[in-house]
Amino acid sequence: MNYWNEFTKGIWKKNPILIIGIGMCPTLAVSTSVSNALWMTLAATFVLVCSNILVSLARGITPSHIRIPVFIIIIAAFVTIVELVLKAYQEAVYDALGIFIPLIVVNCIILGRAEEYASKNNVVASTLDGLGMGLGFGFTLTVLAFFREILGANKLFGYTLIPGMEPSSAMILAPGAFFTLAIMLGMMNWINSRK
Amino acid sequence: MFNSIIKPSLVLLLVAFAASFSLSHIQKITYPNIIKMEKEKQDLALKLVLPGYRITGSKKAKVEGKEFEYWTAEKEEGGTAGYAFMVAGNGYSGPVESIVGIDDRGTILGMSILKQSETPGLGARCVEVSSKETLFDKLLEKTARNEIYMPWFQKQFSGLNSGEKIRILKKGEWNEGLMESLRKENAVLAITGATVTSVTVTESIKNGHELLKKALASGAEKKEAGK
Repeated sequence: MNYWNEFTKGIWKKNPILIIGIGMCPTLAVSTSVSNALWMTLAATFVLVCSNILVSLARGITPSHIRIPVFIIIIAAFVTIVELVLKAYQEAVYDALGIFIPLIVVNCIILGRAEEYASKNNVVASTLDGLGMGLGFGFTLTVLAFFREILGANKLFGYTLIPGMEPSSAMILAPGAFFTLAIMLGMMNWINSRK
Repeated sequence: MFNSIIKPSLVLLLVAFAASFSLSHIQKITYPNIIKMEKEKQDLALKLVLPGYRITGSKKAKVEGKEFEYWTAEKEEGGTAGYAFMVAGNGYSGPVESIVGIDDRGTILGMSILKQSETPGLGARCVEVSSKETLFDKLLEKTARNEIYMPWFQKQFSGLNSGEKIRILKKGEWNEGLMESLRKENAVLAITGATVTSVTVTESIKNGHELLKKALASGAEKKEAGK
C-alpha cells in the first residue's frame, strides 16, 4: 500500500466534494466567507482524523450489524469536544458557524470515510486518508468561499475590497455556491481531460 | 446468542461509556470558561445597551406564566430611570436572544444580540460589524483602530420607539447616512436575504416592551399591597 497515495487521493483524485459529491450541505452553508471556511475545515478535519483513527482501532471488535451506531457515537463525541472547546475559547468562531458545528455529526464525508475506508484499513492509512480528505474538503471550501466572499460580499477576510461597490447578493445565497461549484467542477474536468 | 445479542450490546455499551466518560471530563474543563464568557458577554452587553446609566438591580418576574428577566438602571446624571430586558424570538433556525435598553419613555438606548444560530452570511449578519476599512488599508496598515464596533444592524435600533411597531425597510446595503431617515420612520433596514431574522428581532423587542410594562405594573401592585 502506497501511503502517499492514500493521503493525496482526497485532495484531487477522490476529492470528497467535487468527485464523490458528498458533504454538500456544509459546503453550501459555510462557504460564504474564507475565515468561516477555514475554521470549518479545521473542525471537520479534526473530527475526521480522530474518528478515522478510532473507527480503525475498533474495527476488530465491532460486529458489522451495529457498526453505524458505533461510528455515530465516536463521531458525535468528537464533534461535542470541538463544540465545547470552541465555545469556551473561540466564541466568535462558535457564534459565526452556529448550527453547522453540531451538524458535523451528520456530515456524510466523515461517516462515509468511516464506513468506506477506516473500518477496512489500518490506523496509519486511515489517519492519512482522514487528513487527505479533510484537506480536499477544506481546499474546495476555501476556493469556493474565496470567490463567494469577493463577489457576494465585496470582502476578503471580512475587510471591504472596493468601497461603495454593491456586491451581488445572489453569490452569497445558495445559487451562488452552485454556480461557483459548477465552474470549479468544469475546470477540474477540463484539467483532467487534458492529461 | 452470545454473538448476536450479548456481544453487540457490550460493544455498544463500552463505546457509549467511553464517549460519555471522556466528554464529561472535557465538559468539566471547559464549563467554567463558557460560563465566564457568557457572564462577560452579558455584562458588556448591559453596558452597551444602557450607555451613561448605572445598573441598580436585576429582577426576575413571571409575566403570563413566562420567566422575564429585566434590569433597572439610573442615569448617572439626572437620575431618570432606564430599563434593560432580555427578549427572545424565533428566528430562521433557532431562537434569537437579545438584550434591549430603554429609557423611561420607551426610547431604545441600545440593543445587543446575545445568542443566535442564524445562517452564516445571511441571518447571522445581524451581528456583523460594518467595517469601513478595506483590505488594502489593512495590508498597508493605513488604519490602526482597535475600537469595538457595534454591529450595524443593532446600531440602527438606538433612538427608535420600542412601544410602537418598528418597521422594516429594504433599501440595500446599510450606511451611516441612512440613520436619520430611518429614525424618522421608526424603521430599521432589513438584512439582505434574511427578512425573517429582521422581523424576529423587531417583533421580540415590541413584545419585550409590553412584558416589561406588565412586569413593572405587577411589581408596583405588589408594593402597594405590601404597604
